[in-house]
Amino acid sequence: MPGAKERMREKKMKNQPRSVQYSSRGQGSQASGWVRGHQAEGHRYSQDLPKHITASFFAGARAAEVSVMLKAVSKPTGSCQVFTALPKHMRRRAMSHNTHRLPLRLRDAALRLAERSQRGPEKPPQAKSRSRRARRRHTHLLLEFNRRQRRSRWLETHIWHAKRFHMQNSWSYRLPHTPTAKSYRASYRAMDTHTLLQDLSYFCCLELQGPEEQILRALSQLTSKQTGPTFAASVCLSGARVGRLLLYRAGQYPHGALGPVEFLWRPRAPECTHRQLWIWIHPALKQDVLPELQAVCQCCESVCEVSASSSAAAVDELRNRKRKCTADAAELPAKRLLGDGTRAVGDPVRWESADTHITISDLTMEIVRFRLIGPLAHLVLTDTLHAANEEALRGVCVDADLHQQQRDVFTQLRGVCSTAELPAGCVLGLTVSDPRLTLPQRRGKTVPDLQHISTESSHARDLTLRGVPAHCSQSALWDTSVRDHVTDSRLSEQELNRVRSDVLVPGSAVCVSGVCAVPLLLLHQPGRVCGQERLRWGSGWDLLLPKGWAMAFWVPLVYRGVRVGGLHMSVKHAQFMAQPHFPHDYPDCPAGERCQSEQEAELLEKFKRRPPSKRTNYVKHGCVAPFRCPWQQLVDEWAELVELGGETQSRAGPVQFTVLRSVSVLRQLSAWCSSASAVTPAAAAALHQEQQGALLWVRLRLLGKGRPELHAAVCVPTTSDLQQLTDGQSSGPQEPRHPDPQPESEGSRSVVSHCSRRTLGWVQQGDFSLSSGRGEALAFISLSGLLQMMIQHQRSLVLLRNPSSLQYRYAHVYIDS
Amino acid sequence: MAEPRSPVSASVPHNPIVLAAPEGSTLEMDPIEFTLRKRLPRKLPKRRNDVYVNMKTDFKAQLARCQKLLDAHREICIHGLGLAINRAINIALQLQTSSQGALQLAANTSTVELIDDLEPEDPDEAGEHLTRTRNNSAIHIKVFYPNP
Repeated sequence: MPGAKERMREKKMKNQPRSVQYSSRGQGSQASGWVRGHQAEGHRYSQDLPKHITASFFAGARAAEVSVMLKAVSKPTGSCQVFTALPKHMRRRAMSHNTHRLPLRLRDAALRLAERSQRGPEKPPQAKSRSRRARRRHTHLLLEFNRRQRRSRWLETHIWHAKRFHMQNSWSYRLPHTPTAKSYRASYRAMDTHTLLQDLSYFCCLELQGPEEQILRALSQLTSKQTGPTFAASVCLSGARVGRLLLYRAGQYPHGALGPVEFLWRPRAPECTHRQLWIWIHPALKQDVLPELQAVCQCCESVCEVSASSSAAAVDELRNRKRKCTADAAELPAKRLLGDGTRAVGDPVRWESADTHITISDLTMEIVRFRLIGPLAHLVLTDTLHAANEEALRGVCVDADLHQQQRDVFTQLRGVCSTAELPAGCVLGLTVSDPRLTLPQRRGKTVPDLQHISTESSHARDLTLRGVPAHCSQSALWDTSVRDHVTDSRLSEQELNRVRSDVLVPGSAVCVSGVCAVPLLLLHQPGRVCGQERLRWGSGWDLLLPKGWAMAFWVPLVYRGVRVGGLHMSVKHAQFMAQPHFPHDYPDCPAGERCQSEQEAELLEKFKRRPPSKRTNYVKHGCVAPFRCPWQQLVDEWAELVELGGETQSRAGPVQFTVLRSVSVLRQLSAWCSSASAVTPAAAAALHQEQQGALLWVRLRLLGKGRPELHAAVCVPTTSDLQQLTDGQSSGPQEPRHPDPQPESEGSRSVVSHCSRRTLGWVQQGDFSLSSGRGEALAFISLSGLLQMMIQHQRSLVLLRNPSSLQYRYAHVYIDS
Repeated sequence: MAEPRSPVSASVPHNPIVLAAPEGSTLEMDPIEFTLRKRLPRKLPKRRNDVYVNMKTDFKAQLARCQKLLDAHREICIHGLGLAINRAINIALQLQTSSQGALQLAANTSTVELIDDLEPEDPDEAGEHLTRTRNNSAIHIKVFYPNP
C-alpha cells in the first residue's frame, strides 16, 4: 500500500527540517543533494567536496537547521503521547490515565497533555447557528425537511419510519429497509398468524383514459396470452378484480420483457365507453414502461397543466427558499410537500393523443398505498375503518345507495375467518370517516371475535363464494377533483388535538362536525396461488388512499397491533411465496439488469473491504461467478452440450436468453418434475427445440442439512451421488479443491463444466425457510440442462453448493405453476 | 400426502363435470378449458388445546404433541378433515390406550363445505370465474380426563 506508506512518512516528517540539503547556490559544482543509504556501485559521498566555504553563509544555513531541529525535538509529533518517549520495557499499562506511573521528568508534560485531551480538540470557530429552539420551530423544520427531500423523495410516513428503521436510498426514494429492533422472526409470525403492514407508496401509478377498444388494442401489443390473463381478462375488465401480468416490449414476446405490473379498471359507468385504467409499476420500471406505453398509445403530446398543482407550487417555493429565508417576516409560510417533491416544475405529467384519444397521466405519489399481509388483515381493517355517515358524504359525491351496499359488504368481512378465504384479487370501494377520531387510547391487538364469526357466517359464506359484487368496487378515489378536495380538507393534527382536549371524558370518541369523508379502495392480494404447498399464504389487502392522508391512517393501523416491515420484508414475503421479486429476480428485464450490476458492485466492494488473507478464495472453491451470474453464457454452453449429446440439429446461432413464462409449458414441466420418469426423450427434445435459450424459475428444497446462499451453484448429480443418497450414507459429496493459480490449460473458463459436477444455474434467493423448517432456495436454471438431467437420471434431484463452500447438498426441484 | 392439485388436463377422462354455478343453475363444462384451484378449508380461531391433524406431518410427532398438550390441559380437541379423519381417530385411540384407560373420548362428526375455483384457461373469452362447492366430512374428538 504505497498510499499508506507515504502518508506515514509524511506524518513522520511533518516537523522535520526540510532544508537538509546542500544548497548549490554560490558553491558551483554541488549538483545533487544527499543520497539515502549505501550505494551499491561504490559511490562515495566525499568525492567532490567544495573547495571553499563562505563562513557567514554556512553558519546561517546551519543555524536555520538547528532551530528547526530544536523545534521538532521540543514538540511531540501529532497525537503522540508522552510515554512514547520511553523505551518499550519501561512503559506500563494505563500510563496515559495515571501520570504517577510515569517517571518524574515526564509527568508535567503528561499532565498537560491529559488536560488538553479532556478539553477536546480545538474546533475551528463555527458560524453561529440558531438556537435549537429556533431550529426546531415548525416552519423552519418544514423548510429543512423540504430541502432534504430534494435529492430523494420521502414517503409521507418517512418521519415515522426514520425513527424506527434503517433507511436507504433506492430508486430515488428514501425507503425503510429493516427495523432497528430485532424482528425478523416476529415479522414472519405476523405474516403467518396476524398482520404485517408496509408502506408501498413508492410504487408508481400510471393512469390511462380513453375508449375501451382503443386502450385494449394498444395494450394487447405489450402482453401475451401465453403468460396468463391479459388486460382484457373479463373479470378484470369489469373492475371487480385486480389483475397481474408481465409486460413485454411491443410485439417482442418472448424476448424484451419489461417487468410485472398490477392493473385495475374503473368499473363501467352506464352508457359510456370511456374507461379509466390504473397500472401500478415498480419505480425501477417506470423509465422503461412509460416510453413504451406512449409509443403504443401514440401519446407524444405532453399536456402542460396551467392549474398549478399543489406539488408544483411547493417545488416552486422550494426553489426560492434562499431568497425567502433572507426576506423578512412577510414570507409565505412553508408548506408541507405532498406528492412528488423531486419533480421539476415544467415536467409533463400528462400525455394525450389525437388519433387514439388516449390520455396517459403519471400519478406518482398521488395515491398512498399500504399493504397489509396476513390472515387477520381484514379484521385489522374492519377495526380501524368506519364507514362515513351520511352528512360527511356530501363533499365526496358518493351515491348513498352504493355507499350503503359497500358498508354492508365491509361489515360482512368481520364474519370471515381468514383473508385467504376470499376470492383472489377482489376489490372493494369504501368511504370512511377519519380514523383518527376513533383512535384507541393505547395500542392493542386485534383478535378474531367468535361472536361476529357465528352471526355473520351466512353473509360471509356468500362473500367468500361470490366475492365482492362488481358494482361495489366503484370509488370516488378515481376522480382527480375529489382526491384533491379530500387532500385539502384534511383536519390538521393541531386542530384535532384542540378538539380532543375539549372532550370531557379523556379518550372517548371525538366528534367533529363538518369533517370530510375519505374515499378509498381495498384491493385483495391473493398470496401464493401457484404450487401445492401453503396455498394462499401471504394473502392480504392493499389500501389505497388519496395523498396527504397517510399518517392519519398509518397510526390507527399500527395501534391495532400490526407489525411494520420494510423493503427487506418485501423480499422475504416474495421468497416465502416462492415468487420472483422485482427487480432482483428478473434478469431478462432492463431493470433487472441494472439491479444486477448494482448488486455486483456492492458485493465486490464488500469483498474488497476484507484484508486479502481473510477473503474467500473463490478460485480454490471453484466458483466462477460469485458476484454476478453469467446467464447468457450458461444458456449458450448448455445449448452446445445438448447438441454434442447426439441430436445434430442446425441452430441459428446464439439466442438471447429468456425466462420461461408460458403457463402451459410450465404446467407440463411441473408435472414432469413431480414424476420425472414420465419424461420421454422425444418430448424433451421437442420442448428444447421450441424453447431455446430458456431459463426456468424453480424452487429447491434441501433434503437434509444446509442453508443455501445467494449465487449458490445448482449442479447435476452424478450417478454415484444418487446411489450414495439411496444408500443413506452421506449428506452430499465434496468438490475437490481447485488449484490456485489456475493451470494455463484452462484458458477459457467454462461456466457449466468448471467443477466436477455440471452447473445448471444459480440461486437467486436462498435462506433457511421458517415455514418448512429447512433450507429453501429459489433459482434460475437452464431448461435444456434440466431436461437432459431428468432424462439421464429419471429423478428431479440436484446438488446445491454455496460459493464459499466445497460441500454439495441434495435438493429437490419443484416447479410451481 | 395432500392430493395434488390436478390442473385438469388430458389425463382426466372426458366426462363433463357438473358444476353448481353461483347463480344456482347447473352448467356442464368441458374440463379441458378450466384450471381447478382448491381454496383452503374455513379456518376457525384456534384455542390452545385444539389440534388440527394433517397428513403431511409425521404421525409420531402429532401424537407427541397431543400427549404434551394433555399434560397441561384436562381436555384437548382433535380435528381431522377428509383423509385425515382416520389419523385423528388413530391418534385419539393411541392416547387412550397409552393412558391405561384414564382418558375418555367423545367424537363428533360434521360436514365442512369446501370451495373450488375454476379458472378459465383463456380468460379473455370465457365468461366468469366459476366457483363450486363440495362437502367433505370432518371429525372432532374430545379427549379428556373425566371429572372425579
